Amino acid sequence: MSKSSVEAFQVMKNVAQHPDDYLTQWKNRHQQPVIGIFPMNFPVEIIAATGALPVIIQDSREPISEGNTILAEFYCGFTRSIADQTMKGQLDIFDAFMNADHCIQLLGAVDVVREMLSDKPVYFEHLIAAMDDSWTKDQVQTKIHAFIAEAERVTGTTISDEALTRCIESNNKNRQLLRQVFEARRNGDAQFSPGELQTMIVSSMIMDKDEHTALLETVLAEASTKPRDNRVRLHLSGHFCHAPRVELFDLLEECGAVIVDDDLYTGSRYISTDVKESLAPRAALADWYFARNENIPCPTRVQKTVNWDEYLINALENSGAEGVIVLMAKFCEAHMFYYPELRKALEANNIPHLLIETEHEGMPEETFRTRVEAMIERIRRKSSSRTTAKELAQ
Amino acid sequence: MSNAKQSSVNRLKSNDAGRHLISDYWDRIFTANERNAQVVWYNGAALNPIFQAAGLEWAHGEAFAARLSAQRLEKSAQLAAQEFGYVGELCSYARTHLGAALLAKQAREKFDKGIVDNADRDDLAARLPMPNFIVNCYAGCSTGQQWDDFTHRLLGKDIPIFNVSLPFLWGNRADAGYLKGKEWEEASDYVADQLYKLIDFIEVQTGRPFDWEALREGMTHIKQAAEIRREAMAMCANMPAPATFWDWIASVAHINFLPAGPELVDYFSKIHEEVAQRIASGESAIKDEKYRLYFDGIMNWNKLGTLAKLFAERKVAVVAGRYTHKPFWQEPQLIDTDDPIRGMAQHYLLCPTNHGFQTIKDFTKNDCEFYGLDGIVFHSTRTCRAFTGPQQMLARAMKKEMGIPSIFFEGDVADESFYKGELLESRLEAMLEAIDVRRSRNFIASN
Repeated sequence: MSKSSVEAFQVMKNVAQHPDDYLTQWKNRHQQPVIGIFPMNFPVEIIAATGALPVIIQDSREPISEGNTILAEFYCGFTRSIADQTMKGQLDIFDAFMNADHCIQLLGAVDVVREMLSDKPVYFEHLIAAMDDSWTKDQVQTKIHAFIAEAERVTGTTISDEALTRCIESNNKNRQLLRQVFEARRNGDAQFSPGELQTMIVSSMIMDKDEHTALLETVLAEASTKPRDNRVRLHLSGHFCHAPRVELFDLLEECGAVIVDDDLYTGSRYISTDVKESLAPRAALADWYFARNENIPCPTRVQKTVNWDEYLINALENSGAEGVIVLMAKFCEAHMFYYPELRKALEANNIPHLLIETEHEGMPEETFRTRVEAMIERIRRKSSSRTTAKELAQ
Repeated sequence: MSNAKQSSVNRLKSNDAGRHLISDYWDRIFTANERNAQVVWYNGAALNPIFQAAGLEWAHGEAFAARLSAQRLEKSAQLAAQEFGYVGELCSYARTHLGAALLAKQAREKFDKGIVDNADRDDLAARLPMPNFIVNCYAGCSTGQQWDDFTHRLLGKDIPIFNVSLPFLWGNRADAGYLKGKEWEEASDYVADQLYKLIDFIEVQTGRPFDWEALREGMTHIKQAAEIRREAMAMCANMPAPATFWDWIASVAHINFLPAGPELVDYFSKIHEEVAQRIASGESAIKDEKYRLYFDGIMNWNKLGTLAKLFAERKVAVVAGRYTHKPFWQEPQLIDTDDPIRGMAQHYLLCPTNHGFQTIKDFTKNDCEFYGLDGIVFHSTRTCRAFTGPQQMLARAMKKEMGIPSIFFEGDVADESFYKGELLESRLEAMLEAIDVRRSRNFIASN
């Protein structure tokens, strides 16, 4: 890697780890508002079309203290982290907030933001979760128009179709570049670690898309293919709203696995779907919402014709993954509902899998290690030609 | 002469007299398949008047889970759900109902194969009749829609399902508020439109035209019953309270899903009459009422008697609560009995978990003022994230804005393993002491 490539990646890493520094600089440079967006379905192009910066709010690594005094301890770590950041003034940098998702825990956290930062607009429109109904598309389109109207109100900028089209193109380009990287990994390229991929995604969630794309292009221009070794190939599944800890990825690799694919939100799910440039932009944003759930099914939606278990089995066939690690953020109810169906499908297809529940504080690494090693050993027995973790270390 | 200690709990006698309405209803449900009656499983809002008018039998998932839990018969269903793969942190209503669905399906399959299994037949959790179709209409909780989606999947994906989507009343606009504003009107229209489509769907499922006159008649009875119930509840502002939260809990089934008819009106009329008589005669719901509290939280069905007794023994009248006073046809003036759909849609939106914090705060304050309450008990309901979401903020706001203290205790709707009784008792006693101190100070200050 050249110096420029290393530097470009370092910028992404810094943004992912310290979003506030970037946001402060961006505000100083552009003199435009920064709008906090809650995961997972808000079309950020709407905000970008006003000249403001849409930023998907991240989980903080900081231990939750005050957040536990305002939300119940059995709320997921991400929502308690949002509450915690709110109470500590760490979201003050945002000028407004928008949310499209009806997860009741997320709404609880967003209500904390609204109450504690009462001088800032905190807007929610309920993107209908039942995807099959005849009236859903009209309703979603209505909500898209409502988001646009609110973005115009908050920023004082009228959103033109031209601006929307430009932002759709910009976001599509960014997603396409990121998908190239993920596709290369699926096809056997191991040049980027799972942690590096997460850095690319998280920084994309925070940064101005054109700036991020420029950094990505710099990194990718000099990237060379690195064939992956024959460690056990795993698919990571689940973990919505926020990023799993990179230490967990490291642990999996230490145990002799290589991650070849995922459907994590801070992974393939986030970049799965472009907004159609062939449609009128406002209609295209509504269409995007439906297309996302068909590309990678989401357990927060209900759609009779879409099955996450079928998607997962197909994904494994495409990537050659031999096992699945299901990463479930503790107290994520949508995921809890879906997990038994995934488990049954994996078992029916004789695919080894392991459920790992993650929490905001702490990670019982050695407990996970034992379970992951046992799973990897099981896979390895099916194929005696595997490289062991010990051999890799040598 | 009996040596038995007199109970501090003086329950409404008319409630006891109406219990047979519940058992009659469930008996009819459990025999529905044998009678070849069409059955709908539903969750969330009180759609039952629509089902009743369509000539269906209706089984409410939450109600069945609550019944199992109240009778301490929930374990087999929860075990079935656990063995299927559901973890214990999942909504215990959903977990219990999904487990009951698994058991019922298994029992039905055995029955169809001619295998008579006494154990299955005797297990109440296995006795739900298989549905002809499913309807979901869940407000304020992102769990409800997934729950029925998975019921549909568990039962083989071939049973028709209809979703009524209820928008969360967030209150984006300046004119937004309880029963007012553009958001409220638009949401009311949107849901009403879906109810008409639901009726179209039901016509297809039943193969017969919907009986609109039967719906009007049913809603006329519900409106009357609701008005009488609300009046009786309001009479509990009287000190001492003639009835408590626990009395209203005992009549939730009646107002929420029992058949609408003259017997429902009669039942609540008798409650109303008894409450009025108690006020006239000075009879109180608990012995020597000294404190008056609000209960915020969904019901802990497996601890009903325990909780009623626990509070009564400390001379606490739990007078009102978000669970009893804010859902269940609580705004009967919205119902136009000639054209009831929009008023029904509005009630479905008014689930007390379907509002942003500001609205919840407003109506809690109003209740605390109206009923002259001293404090709030928050049931931190472990697997119900919908009810628990605003509780900490509510506690802060009520203390800051009204000086009303509060305590929290942990429990759950249908999983008693989360109940922390000792914590509740010690916290309650501490709060009552604080109320005593406050009263003493106020007394001294006023003299």
